Amino acid sequence: MLNVGVIIKLEPDFSEGNVSYNSDGTLNRAETKNILGPHSAIACNAAFYCKVKYGARISIGTMGPPIAESALKQAQVLTDAEELNLYSDRLFAGADTLATAEVLRNGVEKMFGADKMDIVFSGHRASDGETGQTGPQTAWKLGYTFLGNVMDFDIDLDRKVVVAKRLISLQGMDTIVEEIESPLPVFITIDPSYKSAFSTVSQRLGANKYSKEGRIKSENYAQFLKTFDSQKLDLDPKLVGLPGSPTIVYRVEKIPRAKTNRKTAIIDPSKPDNLTPVITKITEIARGK
Amino acid sequence: MSNSTNQEIGAKKEEKYRNIYVIIEHFEGQVVPVSLEMLGEARRLMDDFNQKYQLREKVVAVLLGSNVRKLCDELVTYGADAVIYANHDELKYPRNDIDTRVIVQISKDAKITKEIEPEYAGTFVKPRYMFFAADNIGRHLSSTVLAELESGLASDINKLVISDLDIRHEHKTKGQSVRYEKILEMYRPDFSGFLWTTILCLDNKNPEIQREYHPQGCSIIPGAFKPMEKDNSRNGTIIEYFPKIDQEPKIKIIKRSVIEKTIDYETCKIVVSMGRGIKDNPEQNIKLIEEFAELLGAEIGITLPLSKKPYQISQSMDSKYMIPDRVIGTSGSKIAPTLYVAIGLSGAVQHIAGMKESEIVISINIDENSPIVNESDIFIKGRMEDVIPKLVDKIKDQMQAISVRST
Repeated sequence: MLNVGVIIKLEPDFSEGNVSYNSDGTLNRAETKNILGPHSAIACNAAFYCKVKYGARISIGTMGPPIAESALKQAQVLTDAEELNLYSDRLFAGADTLATAEVLRNGVEKMFGADKMDIVFSGHRASDGETGQTGPQTAWKLGYTFLGNVMDFDIDLDRKVVVAKRLISLQGMDTIVEEIESPLPVFITIDPSYKSAFSTVSQRLGANKYSKEGRIKSENYAQFLKTFDSQKLDLDPKLVGLPGSPTIVYRVEKIPRAKTNRKTAIIDPSKPDNLTPVITKITEIARGK
Repeated sequence: MSNSTNQEIGAKKEEKYRNIYVIIEHFEGQVVPVSLEMLGEARRLMDDFNQKYQLREKVVAVLLGSNVRKLCDELVTYGADAVIYANHDELKYPRNDIDTRVIVQISKDAKITKEIEPEYAGTFVKPRYMFFAADNIGRHLSSTVLAELESGLASDINKLVISDLDIRHEHKTKGQSVRYEKILEMYRPDFSGFLWTTILCLDNKNPEIQREYHPQGCSIIPGAFKPMEKDNSRNGTIIEYFPKIDQEPKIKIIKRSVIEKTIDYETCKIVVSMGRGIKDNPEQNIKLIEEFAELLGAEIGITLPLSKKPYQISQSMDSKYMIPDRVIGTSGSKIAPTLYVAIGLSGAVQHIAGMKESEIVISINIDENSPIVNESDIFIKGRMEDVIPKLVDKIKDQMQAISVRST
């Protein structure tokens, strides 16, 4: 049995119609809905692929306040997960990535009754924090091999290795796709370009079946939910939350605009001559002048 | 007498954490530009630091690879005082597991300090500051290195200041005001592109949870800083490090292949972007925009909502354009072309954050009140279906006229 974990996050929903901004352009958190983060959803898709293709069982974990349950529920719809874990304690509040990784490590170690995990997935980065550090730091603390920017993967169950393709794109250099191999357990952060593909009829049938089951399970997601506080996770309070965070947010300020506001010329295109200067400008730039 | 003892104790503590370590990236025998940018910023910070505090701390470049000795001199000319390089076949390509171990070894190795600054060899514990690139490699490497060194890290930084700060913090100082010296203020723009958050990595001086957090680490956005002008007269210490690679790296690289960049906003002079304004006839409008972009030699971008594939269009168009790789904005690419043409997009905050550095912005939209208007140099008030064909026709004429004249 392949044990697959997924670390997810409840994030503000940045889609049109759901996101709300204050008049100064900052996010209005109170008015903005929260959803399972889009990169977390991609990590869920990767776990679901393991279920369909390799019969994996799936455990989902998240650190957050009690409302983060809703993200676990959404993740269960996507994965047909057998287990949902909420790591929630007021002591965890204000954690930076290192203190978050401390909680998540112990959380992963307790998945499926502290069974050995084979693969843990997480998203590429959160759409609000956007650090991309929590995944690799959790991996390091777990002692799992970390693979980042994974676009595609398969598992060789006999050899207990994962074969993956990852993207390396460095400033001003050619983009590289690297094919790599690593023994399990691994911690994978999934690249946004990942797409799970079910190539055979039986896989497609399996995907349909598990999707349906996932939807049904999520109706009663509370049955699958385990909640852990710092004690249940055997955590040292000095290593979590604010006390366990090396970094603090010292100051938040508006970024001064790099350029003064543009002076906008408004053009009515119904009179053809009005467009002439625009056309000249565009042509000049297109020709490299 | 007691005074001098105190000074000595003070100085000893200073000597535990020293220097800025800059983790260098290279590719096919070339140093990645962001590494030179980081060295430039480290040089500027260190020059000010040494003057202000009357110290002689160093900019130390750390370079892993195979056959990388030849890159060391270049790093000195771009600002490094010392280069520590590790040559090993296993280090040929970046791999998180082994690279993390070697960088941690180097960071904690006081013997190297002996070669850089012998007077501190006995006291050196770890670097004071550490810089990584905020890219596919450095983002993860910084995370694992700082996890192993058990210290703090801020990502995606575009401004750095070193200062002394009076901090009052519930946990760090138990609510007391405490002076922290030589603190790296790390500025990172947030997801909206409107706010700057300053992150500090601070020792816990609260007596109940006392703990030292060094190095103060960060990952730096490529393009955020300028490299210093190459100075061939600079001298630096170049030291070979022999890493202890006692376990075989878990990650095996089977194959590396260059993929053609399908979308390259970095080198593109003109970017034409579309938003939900294409909705009346998406397929037809995308064709119009394609024709327009092709005429200008422009790359095509989209807004975030389009990446959610809201329209029923042909599979080929859908997979070519309605993809996250084309999103311009905080959740996609931040670009700065010479000309940005915004078609049928209103200019949501997260979109503007990705294109506001464009030199010239032309927008086409029916809504005079949409936020994109203020971000435009030229706003053409009209339907894209009417405006684009006119532009295409006239630009074709002008292009032809110019090419006729020049032949």
